Amino acid sequence: MSLLLQVAINGLIAGSIYALVSSGFSLIYNTNKFMHFAHGASVAVSGYFLYGFFAIIKLNFFYSLSLTLIFSALLGLLIYRIIYLPLQNRKASNVILLIASISILILLQNLILLLFGANVKDIEFVEVKKGLEFFGAVITLTQIVILLTAVLFFIFLYFFMNKTILGKNMRAVSENKELASIVGINSRKISDFSFLIGSFLGGAAGILIAVEQNITPTMGTILMIKGFTGAVIGGISSVPAAVLGSYLLGLAENFGIVFLPSGYKDAISFVLLFLFLLFRPEGIIGGKRRTK
Amino acid sequence: MLHIKNLHAGYNGLEILKGINLKVGKKEIVALVGPNGAGKSTVIKSIFNLAKITGGYIFFNNKNILGLKTHELLKEGVCYLNQGRTIFGNLTVRENLELGARLIKNKEEVKKRISAIYKKFQILKKRENDFAYTLSGGQQQVLGLGRALITKPKILLLDEPSLGLSPKLQKELFLMIKKIKKDGISILIVEQNAKKAIELADRTYLLEDGKIALEGSGGFILKHKKIKEVYLGGRY
Repeated sequence: MSLLLQVAINGLIAGSIYALVSSGFSLIYNTNKFMHFAHGASVAVSGYFLYGFFAIIKLNFFYSLSLTLIFSALLGLLIYRIIYLPLQNRKASNVILLIASISILILLQNLILLLFGANVKDIEFVEVKKGLEFFGAVITLTQIVILLTAVLFFIFLYFFMNKTILGKNMRAVSENKELASIVGINSRKISDFSFLIGSFLGGAAGILIAVEQNITPTMGTILMIKGFTGAVIGGISSVPAAVLGSYLLGLAENFGIVFLPSGYKDAISFVLLFLFLLFRPEGIIGGKRRTK
Repeated sequence: MLHIKNLHAGYNGLEILKGINLKVGKKEIVALVGPNGAGKSTVIKSIFNLAKITGGYIFFNNKNILGLKTHELLKEGVCYLNQGRTIFGNLTVRENLELGARLIKNKEEVKKRISAIYKKFQILKKRENDFAYTLSGGQQQVLGLGRALITKPKILLLDEPSLGLSPKLQKELFLMIKKIKKDGISILIVEQNAKKAIELADRTYLLEDGKIALEGSGGFILKHKKIKEVYLGGRY
């Protein structure tokens, strides 16, 4: 019983990180209709932003946190404005944009490597302590913070998308860009906001990883694959579905390694990705809210 | 009111409209009919900046509106109900109407206008909080009309509004369009259903190969040999 609970807790924690990555990715994808795989690099860069502000410049942790979130959001906007937008203005196809996104991912990872080296970094904000016992399972304070932060972000995102004018405009652009333009919505501005908010969420994921684990220059690639897989499992055309899919992925990975060696953890997500792409590309709930 | 002069327009270097001249007067319904590919929708898309204009002028109330951005056109009182999907299915009925009213800053005014739309189309009030994709085809078209009317337009551009509707719903839709005209709104309607459109309109233009081939009132157009043979199957 305690083993199952422990596995479930681990799955939810991993799922929270994946969900933050996938929600940002899905938000950007739905508004702009192309795959921004460089989102993974934004996540890694935000980890290094935090490392830079907190461990190198020695700023107060909460200033470091705030600056990291702001810089992460701005990095996303910058990528959109200086790379994707000029390509879109030249009528670049989605394949070109996809190649550009992978190039940015590699470029940013190499920039991190150049500036910080290949070694694993630890921001050493949290002292390693014994976690809290919960029906035989153990959870650390940092892990509780990760779970709560993710939930808070998703509640914020839900209200933002459903109750604010900007959120409704984003949903409208996601669904039908031409119709949105007919009702007077400036879809380029909406794209700006989607990159800002999506990268902000990615930045939050980067921070949580930096606080709980270590950061490495290439961590963005695997996180992007996990976030993408989560989005595909839930349904890439809906942000809540992508979040749900990411939690399911986190649980599947952790329950999977109860029966398989832990080295197969990544393999589980790849297998799930292939299975969903082959047999249910619209995801578990992604296809249910289609228009007639 | 709306005056299109010698309009040349198209897409990706292909000229679809080859010098169109067209007028829509105040409180007038004007129909634009013609075969597929004649450029009917391109006329409306040109007004709304969705086609590449290579020559000519578009005046609305004596102001050149060529190249105006969508929100500027909406402020001028020009509203467009596009072909096909006219609503946001994943937004509720109310959210769709709110989007239509997005240029109105006064929240009370928005509420008033939504109430007025609910009064006009009561089904929308009943389905207010439902996602629009759950509405029937006819109800979706009503919602599209409601969304367009909420801006209190001076002219409504309708692109194939009856597309995909059953004959019964088409009849209801055309009755609604007549009522809209009575409210003082001019209408430029592009329709595949030539007979219905001609009967509805005060004047009709026949568009062929990007040029106006014929123009006249309903009676004249319906009796015209060319229309009878080509568009009404010679049986009217």
